[in-house]
Amino acid sequence: MKGFDLMAVLLNPEFSRMLVHGVKMTFIIFIGSWLLAMSLGMILLAVRMLPGRIASGFVAIYVSYHRNVPTLVQLMLWYFGISSLLPGSVQMWLGDHNGEAVFAVVALGLCQAAYFSEDQRSGLRAVPRGQWEAARALGHSYVGAMTYILLPQAVRNAMPALVNHTVSLFKNSSLAMAIGVAELTHAVKEVENQSFRPFETYLIATIVYLVCSLLLMWLGHYLEQRSRMAGAV
Amino acid sequence: MSLLPSMIDIVRDNWLLLLVGQYPNGPLGGIAATLILSVLGIALAFPLSVAMALASLSPWRALRWPVMAMVYITRGVPLLLIILWVYFVLPLLIGHSVPAFATMLVTLVGYEAAFLSEIVRAGILALPQGQMDAARALGHSHLGAMRYVILPQALFNMIPSILSQFVSTIKETTLGYIINVPELTFAAGQINNRLLTKPFEVYFILAISYFIVCWSLTQAINMIERRIAARRTASVAAESAMPATAASASGA
Amino acid sequence: MSRETPSGDADPMIKFIAVHKFFGALAALTDVNAEVKKGEVVVVCGPSGSGKSTLIRTVNRLEEIQSGSVLFEGKDVHAKLRGSALNHLRSRIGFVFQSFNLFPHLSALDNVMLSPMKVNGVKRSDARETALRLLDRVGLSAKAQNYPAQLSGGQQQRVAIARALAMEPPAMLFDEPTSALDPEMVGEVLSVMRRLARDGMTMMCVTHEMNFARDVADRVWFMDAGRVLETGAPGDFFRSPQHPRAQRFLSDLHTR
Repeated sequence: MKGFDLMAVLLNPEFSRMLVHGVKMTFIIFIGSWLLAMSLGMILLAVRMLPGRIASGFVAIYVSYHRNVPTLVQLMLWYFGISSLLPGSVQMWLGDHNGEAVFAVVALGLCQAAYFSEDQRSGLRAVPRGQWEAARALGHSYVGAMTYILLPQAVRNAMPALVNHTVSLFKNSSLAMAIGVAELTHAVKEVENQSFRPFETYLIATIVYLVCSLLLMWLGHYLEQRSRMAGAV
Repeated sequence: MSLLPSMIDIVRDNWLLLLVGQYPNGPLGGIAATLILSVLGIALAFPLSVAMALASLSPWRALRWPVMAMVYITRGVPLLLIILWVYFVLPLLIGHSVPAFATMLVTLVGYEAAFLSEIVRAGILALPQGQMDAARALGHSHLGAMRYVILPQALFNMIPSILSQFVSTIKETTLGYIINVPELTFAAGQINNRLLTKPFEVYFILAISYFIVCWSLTQAINMIERRIAARRTASVAAESAMPATAASASGA
Repeated sequence: MSRETPSGDADPMIKFIAVHKFFGALAALTDVNAEVKKGEVVVVCGPSGSGKSTLIRTVNRLEEIQSGSVLFEGKDVHAKLRGSALNHLRSRIGFVFQSFNLFPHLSALDNVMLSPMKVNGVKRSDARETALRLLDRVGLSAKAQNYPAQLSGGQQQRVAIARALAMEPPAMLFDEPTSALDPEMVGEVLSVMRRLARDGMTMMCVTHEMNFARDVADRVWFMDAGRVLETGAPGDFFRSPQHPRAQRFLSDLHTR
C-alpha cells in the first residue's frame, strides 16, 4: 500500500477540480430539494386541513408512500421509470440539460416534503386548543389566527424535527450518485478509481460531509435558541 | 392502461428472482436476502447498542467520548460513504476479500447500533430517577441495577422505536446496490437490464414491494404501541391500588 | 360602593331565548331564558356539570346551540353569519378563559397589542399606548416586556383581562377566571374585576367566588343540570334561596 499522502489528491488539479465540482453539485441538489420540500410540505399541510376526506386521504397516502418506500428506489423510479413515460421531446431536453440532477432534486424534494409536512403537522397539533379559542374569541379570522398565533408556535414546536430532517436530506444527496449525478460521493469514487488512493479521498469527503452536517445542526440549534419563547422550558 | 397487465406479467415471470435472487444457482438474493440482512443487522446491532448506551451514560470520559464520536459520525456522514469506507477497509483488516453481503452486514450493524444506542439512551433517561435510587438503596451495583431494573423497563418502553429502526434498516439495505449486494433492488436492476423496454413497470413493482413490507410492519408497530400504552396505564392503576391493601394488611 | 345602576329600559345586551344544547344525546342546556342588561353584573353559579361554562361560551359562539337564540346587542349570534361578521361580533365580546390562554410566543405587551392592530386595524402607536394604559390599569406595567412563561398565574390572568379590554368591548365574559389560580393569587384578579364592575362594565361571570358575587353582582343566576333554576339579587339569593337545589348547593358551600 502506498504511503498516506493527502496532498497527492488535494494538490492534483484534476482531482481537486472533480471534488470541488462534486461539492458544488451536492449543494445544488441539497438546496434545490430543500426548497421544494419545504414549500410542498406547507402546501400538503394546508391541503390536509381542507374539509372532506378526499384531501386528507390524498395527503395521508402521499406521506405513507414516501415514508415506506426507500429513497433510493424512489430516485430510480423517477429516473429510470417515469422518465421513460415522458414524451420524447421532454426526454431529449432533459438529456441535454442535466436531467439526472433535475430528477434527483424532484425525487428528493418530493420525498422530504412528506417528512416536513408531518413535522409541521405535529408541531401544529402540539399547540394547545385554548390558543385557537382565545384567538377566535378576540375576533381573529381563521387566517389571522393561523398567521399570528398558531403557525408561529407550530413552527417553533417543529424546529428540532425539521432540523433533523434537513440534515437527513443533506446526507441523502449522496444517493443521487446512483443515477449518475456528479455530486461529492460520485466524485469521490471517480477520484479513487484514478488516483488509487481510497483512504485519502474518502477521508476528504468524510470531513466535508461531517463539517457541513455539524454546521447544519449547529445552525438549526442556533435558530431554535433564537426563536425559543422566552422563559419556556 | 397497458401498464398493469405488463406489470402482472413481469411479476409472474420473475417472482422467484425477486423472492430469492439467483439461489440456488448463485448467492441468496431478492426479498429473502433483504429481510435476512435487516434481521441480522438489527439483531447483532442491538446488544452493541445497549453497551454503547451504557457507555455514553457512564462517568468515564474514556467510555463516553468514543461512543459520542461514533454517533456523531454516523449522524453526519451519508450511509453511502460509510459503505464505501467499510468496503475498502474490511478486506485490509481481515486479509482477504469479503463478499458484498458480509460487507453490507458489517456496515449495517455499526450504523444501526449507533442509532439504536441513542434510542436506548433516551429510554433509560426517560425512566424516573427514583428507580435507580431504589435499586441502589437495596444494594444493587450500578450494572446490576441496570440489568435487573432499568434496562428491562427502558427496553420494553422503547420496543416501538426499536421496531421503527428495523423498518429503517430494511430501507437502508437498498444502498447495497452500489456495491452489488444481491438483494431486492439488485434483483430489480437485473430484470430491468434484461427487459430494457419496461423500466417503469419494473421499478414500480420494486417500490410497491417495499411499500407492502414496510407499511405492514409499521401497522404492526402501531398496534404494539397501543398495547404497550394500555399495559402501562393498567400497571399505574395497579400501583395506586396497592397502598390501600398494604395499609389494611398492616392495620389488621 | 357607588356604581351606576344598570339602565333597565334599554334593550338587554345579552339575551338567551329558549336555548337548547346537546352534546350528542346529553342535554347540556335546556330551555334557558335569561338576559343581561347593559351595565349589569351577572354571576352564574351552580354545581359542576350544571352547564354554566357551556352557557357563557354560547354567547360568543365557542359552543353551538341546537335551538333557540342567543342575542348580543340585538344580533343573533348563532344565525348563518359570514365569517367576517362573526369575527366582528366576537371582537365586541371580551372573553376571559379559566386557563388564561395567553399567546406564549408574544410578550405581555404584544399579547395586548396584537388583536386591536390585526382585527380592528388600529395603528401600532395607538395600540401600544392603549396596551400600556391597560397593563397599568391591571397593575402590570412593569411586566410589559415579559413573556407569559415568566409570569405567575395571577399575573397571566390579569394580562388576559387587559388583552380582552384592549378590544374596547361593551361586555366582558369571565369563564371561571380564578379556578386555575393558587389561592393567594385569586384576590389580585378579583380586585381587577371589581374595579371593572364599578366602572360600569357589563359583565357575565361564571365563578365559585361567592364573596365576589355578594359584593359586586347585580343578579345571581343559579344553574343545575343545564337549566337556570333561580335568578335574584345576591342579597335575596344568598339569604333565602327559593329552589330546593339552590338551597342544597348553598348549604354544601357553607359546610366546607
